[in-house]
Amino acid sequence: MGLLAFLAKLADWRRRDQLSGELDEELNFHRAQLERDGGAGHARRRLGNLTRLKEETRDMWSIPWLDQLQQDARYALRGLRRSPGFAATVIVTLALGIGANAAMFGVVDRLMFRPFAYLKDPDTVHRVYLRWHDRGTVRTDNWMEYTRFLDLQKWSSAFSQYAAFADRNDAVGVGDAARERPVAVVNASFFDFFDAPPALGRYFTASEDSLPRGADVVVLGNAFWQSEYGSRNVLGTVLQVGDMHLTIIGVTPRGFAGVAEGEAPAVYLPITTYAGSRRGNQGTTYYRTYNWGWMDFMVRRRPGVTVTQASADLSQAYVRSWNAEAATDHIAPASVAKPEAIAGALKEAAGPDPGLEARTALWVSGVALIVLLIACANVANLFLARALKRQREMAVRLALGVSRGRLLRQMLTESLLLAFIGAIAGVLVAQWGGAGIRGLLISKEGASLAVIADWRTLGIVAGAAVVAGVLTGLAPALITRRELATALKAGTREGTYQRSRLRTGLLVAQGALSVLLLVGAGLFVRSLERVKAMRMGYDADPVLFVERNNRGVNLDDSALVRLNLSLLDAAQRLPGTEHAALNTTLPFWSTSSTSLFITGIDSVRRLGRFTFQQATTDYFRVMGTQILRGRGFTPEDRASAPRVMVVSDGMARRLWPGKDALGQCVRVRADTMPCTTVVGIAENIVERDLTGTDRFNYYMPLEQDHLDFADGLLLKMRGDARAQQEAVRGALQKLMPGASYVTVQSFGDVVDGQRRSWRMGATLFVAFGLLALIVAAIGIYGVIGYNVAQRMHELGVRIALGAQSGDVVKLVLGQGMSFALTGIGVGLILALVVARFVEPLLFHESAKDPAVYAGVGLVLLAVAMLACALPALRATRADPNAALRGDS
Amino acid sequence: MTQTPDNRRELLPGTLDMLILKSLTVQPMHGYGIAQHILRLSGDVLFVDEGSLYPALQRMRQQGFLKATWGRTPNNQRARYYTVTRAGRRHLGERETGFAAVIEAMLRVLKPA
Repeated sequence: MGLLAFLAKLADWRRRDQLSGELDEELNFHRAQLERDGGAGHARRRLGNLTRLKEETRDMWSIPWLDQLQQDARYALRGLRRSPGFAATVIVTLALGIGANAAMFGVVDRLMFRPFAYLKDPDTVHRVYLRWHDRGTVRTDNWMEYTRFLDLQKWSSAFSQYAAFADRNDAVGVGDAARERPVAVVNASFFDFFDAPPALGRYFTASEDSLPRGADVVVLGNAFWQSEYGSRNVLGTVLQVGDMHLTIIGVTPRGFAGVAEGEAPAVYLPITTYAGSRRGNQGTTYYRTYNWGWMDFMVRRRPGVTVTQASADLSQAYVRSWNAEAATDHIAPASVAKPEAIAGALKEAAGPDPGLEARTALWVSGVALIVLLIACANVANLFLARALKRQREMAVRLALGVSRGRLLRQMLTESLLLAFIGAIAGVLVAQWGGAGIRGLLISKEGASLAVIADWRTLGIVAGAAVVAGVLTGLAPALITRRELATALKAGTREGTYQRSRLRTGLLVAQGALSVLLLVGAGLFVRSLERVKAMRMGYDADPVLFVERNNRGVNLDDSALVRLNLSLLDAAQRLPGTEHAALNTTLPFWSTSSTSLFITGIDSVRRLGRFTFQQATTDYFRVMGTQILRGRGFTPEDRASAPRVMVVSDGMARRLWPGKDALGQCVRVRADTMPCTTVVGIAENIVERDLTGTDRFNYYMPLEQDHLDFADGLLLKMRGDARAQQEAVRGALQKLMPGASYVTVQSFGDVVDGQRRSWRMGATLFVAFGLLALIVAAIGIYGVIGYNVAQRMHELGVRIALGAQSGDVVKLVLGQGMSFALTGIGVGLILALVVARFVEPLLFHESAKDPAVYAGVGLVLLAVAMLACALPALRATRADPNAALRGDS
Repeated sequence: MTQTPDNRRELLPGTLDMLILKSLTVQPMHGYGIAQHILRLSGDVLFVDEGSLYPALQRMRQQGFLKATWGRTPNNQRARYYTVTRAGRRHLGERETGFAAVIEAMLRVLKPA
């Protein structure tokens, strides 16, 4: 039957009662006509038996399976209305399980799978990743130089399209409207990857994106155009981006974001315009040298080229490019570095080197799946309990001739109905709880997105509901295959209760899976604790950092010094400021290093990478970095005074092992420089990565060098630093000449960002672990409670024969705890096996941490005990009289 | 038992649809009218049984060849009138062509004898 024919039939099916009535009326009319023309007898003879006619006609608008389905659904609804507690428990349990999965799928889909809007034929588009060997370790990176991009484009042949692109943050607009915004700098060919006709104007052309510097044109992002220009026709208007003055030539269509993962770029400009406008050497050599790796590169495979062939083609081009670089720079030869290029996923999270966060997100989705499994086990158990209760009803219906298939269908209808109600509730759960998860995982902007953003998530939810419905509906069907006669013969009370291996199995599985999740939760929580407890060497939370951006305003050195000093002075006068200092670098933000020369050491460089900070007097007070020995900076460390430096503990130990670093002489930048004397030793700081061990930093007073080197300042605030960000910006911005501006950011936020993957892992594992624990506790409680209810008669007899309350409690608890202990045991072993796979995601935490395992075991034991306690107490109230009087 | 005059013939199988559709191309009719129309036009030869007529009407309505609407007879009685849809006309055309070909072929076989 074709779809249209089926739809016609379905339409008739829906109004079959009406159709039937109409047919009756029509036949009555026919009869009346016959009577009029030939008399009553004639009519009776002709229309004597209409049953066959009606049956034949009605068959045409009936769909038997749909009739049955409707019947089953009505039956199921009636049954559920009679046991609302059961229905509610099932729905809530499934809602939690399905909701958790919908939320996690939404996140993982966004991170890894959902293609970028407007992208043509996404399967053939790749981001290019480079891999090489560097002193024993394999490095994978997707940042490369423009020169490298040109090389790979020139020497590869497997691709039909190439585009270089980079996401930057830059000031957009002038005056009060100027803000740092995401800026996409892309090749003209970038737009050819998409099927996205501009909403207004045009995109830039290859001639506007040419070497050495492209044209001064810009394309606006749709959202930016709407919010800043109210969708006016702005073509031809000039917009300042950074220190470039660009003419607006077009606007992207709504929803276009290029290949940006987070916020959509505000503007798109030619990559050569951006790079060619860079000051100094970079602006003129970026396409000829290999020392500025800053952009990404995407390609489209030619038809018929496989991914493997594409990677091979890129790799040979990369080897040639590597050799070209080796000819001018001192890098390891290709034979040692083994350079290799990969045509990988456009989404970095799905590429060869996904970040810690993407990997954690994948693990957490596995966790969500386990929560769903536990929920299913639980619901299956509830259905089983119900099926046992309804065994007689089923037996009677079977005896009356209802087929087993029909019964099975009925049970499936019931479970699927509940699963779908649960799924709808689950979407609500995901919508509500998912905002938090996405906030943790993606970005602040991502948090506000709807969970059901497209059919993909909807499909997953529906799929999860079907799986849950079938799994939970089939379980009771298995046990109704009992002998009819036995069930019919048995009274409502039986002497012995039935143990079901399936039910206890499900219970043990639930317990084991909960243990697994809770162990994961424990490991991540310990990691987070360790990350947080780790002394970073500074107190980030009260610190704001101000970046000064000249944006093309030309200031000579002395003007810069004056500006810096006036900024420092203004910052110190702010009511919320405790200390302030001009600085040059900041942990997790930027680092500097230079050559050091020390008598008695051949090559300082070979001992490690030593990075320096130049800042004004109050630096250590602003950062809260402790001076362990010696002194910090004082106002006496002026340009005219002897040069001094403070070194980190790690650096002191590395450079002068076994000796006192204080008083040592270091020559900075050149061995002809005068001595810089070590006057203090500061605690180690975490500068680039939380997990590293080399902490080599040194500090020099900015006053002894050039004050114009500082491109920002640090402020230690009283009270909530983040709340004062805007006030600080407003106060300092007033001092900035022309289009130059300052940005103010919370250093605490920057440091927090570094801990994100652990915080995310801990939060989500704990949330899902607790969810699993609650569901498992409900499971144990349900099963033990049901067993007690079934054994009331037997327990009554026991009490009548002299059993004490204590004996009864022991009996019930004993049974419950034996399930629990088995589950815990299995779970702990399982956890030991699985946990080592998450170890790379942990921070200074062993996947075999005994404290975690013991803690989880105890928690589960306590919860199981609680879940059994209520039924056990109820068991002590078994009435011996009722037991003895009752039938049997 | 139905009284059937000698000259009445049963319909050839598969021709009822065609006759109904053809009748309705003249004007919309109710079920009784269709049966009467076919009987009259065929010179009281082709007799349409109610037991076949109404299922056929329902089937063709579901297939979209007919539309059924309630209307009034000249005597102001409520009756269900059928009209041919465009799909119905197309169907009729196909059936007529096919039928003509079959009849012609049959006659060619039968004539020489």
